[in-house]
Amino acid sequence: MSDITLYNYELDEQSYRARLALSMLGLEWKTIAIDMFPGAEQKKPEMLALNPLGTLPVVRDGDLVLHGTAAILLYLAKAYDPAGRWLPEEPASFGAVAQWLGFSETAMAPAVKARLQAVFDISGDAAALRQAARKTFRIMDDHMIARHFDGKEWFVGDGPTLADLALFPSFALSRDYGVEHDEYPALRRWVRRFRALKGFHAMPGIPGYH
Amino acid sequence: MKLNEGWVPVGLSSSIEPGTSTGTTIEGSEIVVWRDNSGHAHAWEDRCPHRGMRLSFGFVRGNHIACLYHGWQYDTAGQCRYIPAHPTLDVPQTIKVPIYRVKEKYGIIWTTTAEDVAIPEAEATEITPVRSLYVDRPIDDVFTAFMAAGMTSLHTNAGKVVRGDDVLFVAFQATAAAKTAAHIAIFGSAAVYRGAKQKHYAQWAEGLRFELEAAQGEAEVA
Repeated sequence: MSDITLYNYELDEQSYRARLALSMLGLEWKTIAIDMFPGAEQKKPEMLALNPLGTLPVVRDGDLVLHGTAAILLYLAKAYDPAGRWLPEEPASFGAVAQWLGFSETAMAPAVKARLQAVFDISGDAAALRQAARKTFRIMDDHMIARHFDGKEWFVGDGPTLADLALFPSFALSRDYGVEHDEYPALRRWVRRFRALKGFHAMPGIPGYH
Repeated sequence: MKLNEGWVPVGLSSSIEPGTSTGTTIEGSEIVVWRDNSGHAHAWEDRCPHRGMRLSFGFVRGNHIACLYHGWQYDTAGQCRYIPAHPTLDVPQTIKVPIYRVKEKYGIIWTTTAEDVAIPEAEATEITPVRSLYVDRPIDDVFTAFMAAGMTSLHTNAGKVVRGDDVLFVAFQATAAAKTAAHIAIFGSAAVYRGAKQKHYAQWAEGLRFELEAAQGEAEVA
């Protein structure tokens, strides 16, 4: 029996990644709302005691407290997906999932920042961030075009993994910062399949129906 | 080529599944391309007459496309048929989206507003789609690069590339002043070309894209 608490801000896409993982793993959890904008509550002493970096999301499970989106996704999959569907045991697939999780924290950072800039007026060079986000999505689209030729519909292996879950939000939210989906046909196809998965739910900025 | 000058390719047929829509642009003009559940493709001005929202943000329901903003639904003739806020209203005929002519040929969706124009002719029986390649370069540069890679021009916006026993068909769309889409298909059946050949020509095209954009980078530095 899990006793999970999520420190969450509804409009934060990193918190959304944690919510998606919890929901798609079929877990129940308690949410504590943190006022990220304009309150910056995640940077106040009470939250810094849980996460000295002052970022969201933070997950508490019993005595364990974790921050950092990829760490949270990895932990949840390891703890609550014994079949290893979301985090495959097989070394090559494990490596590929780890690669895309790394990509989601590095190559995708400009896309995350572009949205913060556009939605919450955080400082940043909007045009340069958009251009970097387009480059990231192109790498993903090229990958999924090649995957489709191999008869595969997901980033790694034969089913959805943490790779898909970690990559989905920034692309699905890209219109928030002015990047259209026109140039990414393989990602449009992938998004439709991801949205049909059990436990999927949208967030503001991602249309509820499709 | 503009919409009123001839048939413009806007995507691979296989990229628009039944019940889905996407936005695209022709020299900056926004277009929604969607496929109804009967399998017919449509290309319209991408603007809901109600509040100007892009219809490509919306969703397809049966043979209607609905605007994401307030759910106004349009039939395949572009005529508004249903307004959720006024469910019993007989919707006026004047609420209509401008629609364009559409054809599917060579595994590509083409659209135009012109009457007496033809899609480029090429001898093809079966088609295997490859990919749409989006390049941050003007259409003339992209066309020239494909010509340099062995393409024979069939029309101002299409050509044929012979590589060994394989024949590729490429159709070009100026999405914006400095952006181009090249829609690429193989002439031949999927039984022969599915998989390895598709991947081979997708990578070949990505190589052309790299060279085109690298040349652009050098021009900017100079």
